[in-house]
Amino acid sequence: MNLKLVFKVVGRILQIEAAAMVLPLAVALLYREDPSPFLWSIAIVAAAGFLLAATPTRQHFYIREGFAAVGLIWLITGLVGALPFWFSGHFASFVDCVFESCSGFTTTGASILTNIEALPKGILFWRSLTHWMGGMGVLVLATAVLPSMGIRSHYLTQAESPGPVFSKLVPKQSQSSKILYSIYCALTLAEVACLKLAGMPLYDAFIHAFGTAGTGGFSNRNASVGAYGSFAIDMIISVFILLFSLNFAVYFLLLTKKFKEILQSDELRFFLIAVAGATVLISINIYPIYSNLLETFRYAFFQVCSIISTTGFSTTDWSFWPNFSHAVLVLLMFCGACAGSTGGGMKCSRVLILFRSIRREIHRIIHPRSVEVIKLDGKVADEDTVRSVLIFIGCYLLVILSAALVISLDGFSFTVSFTSALTCVSNVGPGLEAVGPAGNFFAFSHLSKLVMSLCMIIGRLEIFPVLVLFSRSTWRRA
Amino acid sequence: MKIVIVGNGKVGYSLAEQLVREKHDITVVDVREDPLRRAADSLDIMVVRGNGVSADVLREAGVVGADLLVAATNSDEVNMICCLTAKNLGTKYTIARIRNQEYTASLAELRRNLKIDTIINPESATAVEISRLLRFPSAANIETFCRGRVELMGFRLQENDFLVGKPLHALSAQVKKLSLLFCAVERGSQMIIPNGSFVPSVDDKLYLIGRPDSLDQFFRLLGRYAPKVKQVFLVGGGKISMYLASILDRAGIKLKIVELDEKRCRQISERFPRAMTICGDGTDQELLESENLSSYDAFVALTDRDEDNLIISLYAMQQGLPKIITKCNRENYAGIARSVGLDSVISPKFITASHILRLVRGMQNSQGSVMNSFHRIAGGAAEAMEFTVTASTRHLGVALKDLSLRPGVLIAVIVRGQDIIIPEGSTALQSDDKVIIISCNSGITGLNDIYAPERSASGTSGGQQ
Repeated sequence: MNLKLVFKVVGRILQIEAAAMVLPLAVALLYREDPSPFLWSIAIVAAAGFLLAATPTRQHFYIREGFAAVGLIWLITGLVGALPFWFSGHFASFVDCVFESCSGFTTTGASILTNIEALPKGILFWRSLTHWMGGMGVLVLATAVLPSMGIRSHYLTQAESPGPVFSKLVPKQSQSSKILYSIYCALTLAEVACLKLAGMPLYDAFIHAFGTAGTGGFSNRNASVGAYGSFAIDMIISVFILLFSLNFAVYFLLLTKKFKEILQSDELRFFLIAVAGATVLISINIYPIYSNLLETFRYAFFQVCSIISTTGFSTTDWSFWPNFSHAVLVLLMFCGACAGSTGGGMKCSRVLILFRSIRREIHRIIHPRSVEVIKLDGKVADEDTVRSVLIFIGCYLLVILSAALVISLDGFSFTVSFTSALTCVSNVGPGLEAVGPAGNFFAFSHLSKLVMSLCMIIGRLEIFPVLVLFSRSTWRRA
Repeated sequence: MKIVIVGNGKVGYSLAEQLVREKHDITVVDVREDPLRRAADSLDIMVVRGNGVSADVLREAGVVGADLLVAATNSDEVNMICCLTAKNLGTKYTIARIRNQEYTASLAELRRNLKIDTIINPESATAVEISRLLRFPSAANIETFCRGRVELMGFRLQENDFLVGKPLHALSAQVKKLSLLFCAVERGSQMIIPNGSFVPSVDDKLYLIGRPDSLDQFFRLLGRYAPKVKQVFLVGGGKISMYLASILDRAGIKLKIVELDEKRCRQISERFPRAMTICGDGTDQELLESENLSSYDAFVALTDRDEDNLIISLYAMQQGLPKIITKCNRENYAGIARSVGLDSVISPKFITASHILRLVRGMQNSQGSVMNSFHRIAGGAAEAMEFTVTASTRHLGVALKDLSLRPGVLIAVIVRGQDIIIPEGSTALQSDDKVIIISCNSGITGLNDIYAPERSASGTSGGQQ
C-alpha cells in the first residue's frame, strides 16, 4: 500500500470540498446569516487539503490504492461535511452531524432533525449540496475539474461508479467525467427552471433540484415535497427523479444519436416496467383511501419513483397506507435504480443478472450438460461479472442483516430496526413505522447512528471499497 | 488524435501505452476478454470487445471520423479487411501489420486495392535493423538521419577507454576536430544530456551523433574499430531469420543457420544454397562449440524464446565473439540483458511500435516543421528526431546561445545543403535546414515545441565540446 499516494489524493479532494463550501457561504451572506460556521470549516479543510496534497510522491496508482483511497476519502468526506453542521450549533452532538453529513453525501436523505425549518438557510443549502456532489461522485468531480489526477485515475472513478460493469463514454477518463458532469448540471438546471415556473421559490427550487439530482431526498420543509400541495410540482419532481435514476450513458447515446443502442438496453426496460408495475399495484391497493383516480395515481406514482430511485421524498405520510403497499415499497428499496445513475440500491442490472442466473440454474438441473450464457443488453455478460454480481447481492443482504442486529440493541421493533438498516444501505432515506416518511432518526443511540452512517457509505460505494479498508492484506507491505 | 488500435497483442499494447502517454484518445479492439481487461485496468483507454472485421464493432469503436486505425492482430487477412472497412467508414489513415511473405511480393497492389496507407512487417523491419547493426559492428545500436548522411550510435564505455574520467571539454584536439557530438548518456536508469564539464565513467552508454566517416575515425582512435562482419552465426530459423538471411546473403556474407526443425531446415537450405544449414538444438553448447562458434565475427540469437536467446548470447559473449545481437520481446528482460553487457538487444515489438509512433508524430505536426524521421533510443528513454525548418518555425536567424530551449532538449546536428554542422553558440537556424533534436521528454511534435515557454529566460542550449 502506497500511503503517500493515497494521502495526496485525499488532499486534492479536501481542496475541492473546501471550494464547494464557498457556495453555502455565499448563500449565508446573501440571507444575512452568520457566516462563521463556513469560514471555520473552509479554513480547516483547506489547510488540511493543502498540507496533504503537498505529499511528494511520483508513484503510480494500482487497483489497491484506488480502492483504499476511495474508501478512505468517503469516510473522511463524511467527517468533513459534518464540520459546518457542528459549528452552526443547531445539532445536539457531533455524531448527529456526522450522520447528517454521511446521509447527505451518500444521497440517503435520512435525517436526525426534528424541525428542519428552524435551521438557517446556509446550513440547509450545504446539506442539500452534499447530495448533489455525492450523487455523481466526489472523485468523478475531481477527475473532471483537476487537470492531473495522475494516470490511472480511472481506478478511482471505477470504485466510485455504481453498477456491475464499469465503462467509459470516451477513451479519456477526465473527458468522460466532464461529459457526465455536464449532463448532470444541465439536467439539474432544467429542473430548477421547471420548479420555478411551477411556482416554487428559487431557493426551494435549488434545494429540491439538488435532492432530486443526487437522488438524495433532503428537503427544507418538514413535510417534504408534500408541503407545496401542488400537482405540477409533484409531477415535475417525479419525472426528474426518473431521469436521474437512468444510466447516464443513455443521455450520451442520445447526444451522439445512437438511438438503436438505447432500445437494446434490458436494464432500462426492466426499470420502466418495475416503475409501471409497482405504480399499478399500489394504486389498486390505496384506491379506497383516496377514491379519486387522479389523486391515487399522483401519490402512488410519486412514491414509487421516489423509492425505486432511492430518493426518499414524500408527498404524503404513506405510513398509513395498507401493508401490501409497504411490502412493494420495501422490495423497490432493495432493487434500486439503474447502474451508472446517481441512485442507490442493488441496481436493476444486478437484479436482472440474478434472475437470469436463477433461470439458468433451473435449466441446469433439468439438463445437467447444458451450456448457457447470460446476456445483458444483448451482449454476453462474462462469468466473472455474473459471479461478482451474485457475491455482491449476498454481501448486500449480509451487511443489512448485521446492521439490523446492532440497531436492534436500541430496543425498537424488528420492522424499525430492519427497515432503517435497509434504507441506509440502499441510500433511500425513510423506512417504516418510527423511521417512516414523517419520522426521523433522532431517537437512535450513538452506536446505531455510527453504524448507520457506515452502512450508508458501504451502500453508496457498493460494499467492496469499504471492506477493502478493513482487510489486513490491504495494509500489509508486501 | 482519435486512434483505434485493433488487436491488443504485444505491439498493440505497447503502442497504446506510448500513445496514451502522448495524450491521444485511444480505443482498443480485441476478441479476447482477458488482455482487454488488463489493458483497460492499466491504461486510460476505452476497450471494445469484438472482431475487428465486423463493421458494427468498428463503428462502436468510433472509426467513423477517427484519425488513424492500426490493425495489428495476428492475422494478416483480418488486418487487411479491417483497414478496408475502416477506410470505407471514414477513417483518415490506416496502418496494417502484414507479415506473410507471400503477400510481401505484391505489397504495392495490396496497398492500392485495400486502401491501406502504410503496411508494416515487423519481422522484415527487425531484419533490416539487425543488418544495419551488423554493417557497423562497433556500435551497440545505430540510427540514421538524412538518408544516411548523419548517424547516431550508442556504445558502452570500457575500463581503459581514454574517455573515462576526463571531462568532455578536455578531450584531445584530435577528437575535437571530428564533427561529432556526444548527445546523450545512459547511466544506470538515468538519461543525461551531457555538457562540456560532463565526466564519463565506466559502464556509461554514450550516444554519438555525426558524419559516418567521423564516427569511423573516432572508433579507430578508441581502438574499438571492428572490421566489417564477414561470417555470421544465426540461431533460429523463423521469419526474421529468413528476411535477415536474404539481406546478408545478397551482401555476400557467409552464414551458418542453426534450426531445430528438420523440415524447416530443408526449406532454408532450398532458399539459401550458399548458407550452411545445421539441423540441431541451438541452445546446446556442445553443438555450438562443435560448429566452431568462436571463429565467427557475429552471433545473432533469434529463437522464439527470449530466455534461450539471452542465455546463448551470454555464452557467445563468453566465447569472445565481437558482435552479439539478441532478440528479446520482453522489455524487462532487455533491461537485465543490457546490465550484464549484452548491448544489442532488439525487440520486434519495440521496432514496430516506434515505426508507427513515428508516423503518428508526423501526422500530428501541422505547424512549424515537418518531421522526417524519429527514433527512440536507450530503450525509449530518449528520442531523436529530424525536422525540416520552414518559414513558420519560430526564432529563425537567432543565435542559439540567445535562445532558451526546454530542459532536456538538445539541438544535435544541423544539415544545411551539403554541410553537416555541429552547432555552436553562434549558430542560427535557417529556413530549409534539417535539424536533429535529442529530447529526454516525449511529446515533441514540431520544432516550435523545443523552445522553453517565453517567460523563463534562463536555460541551456545544450553542451558543445
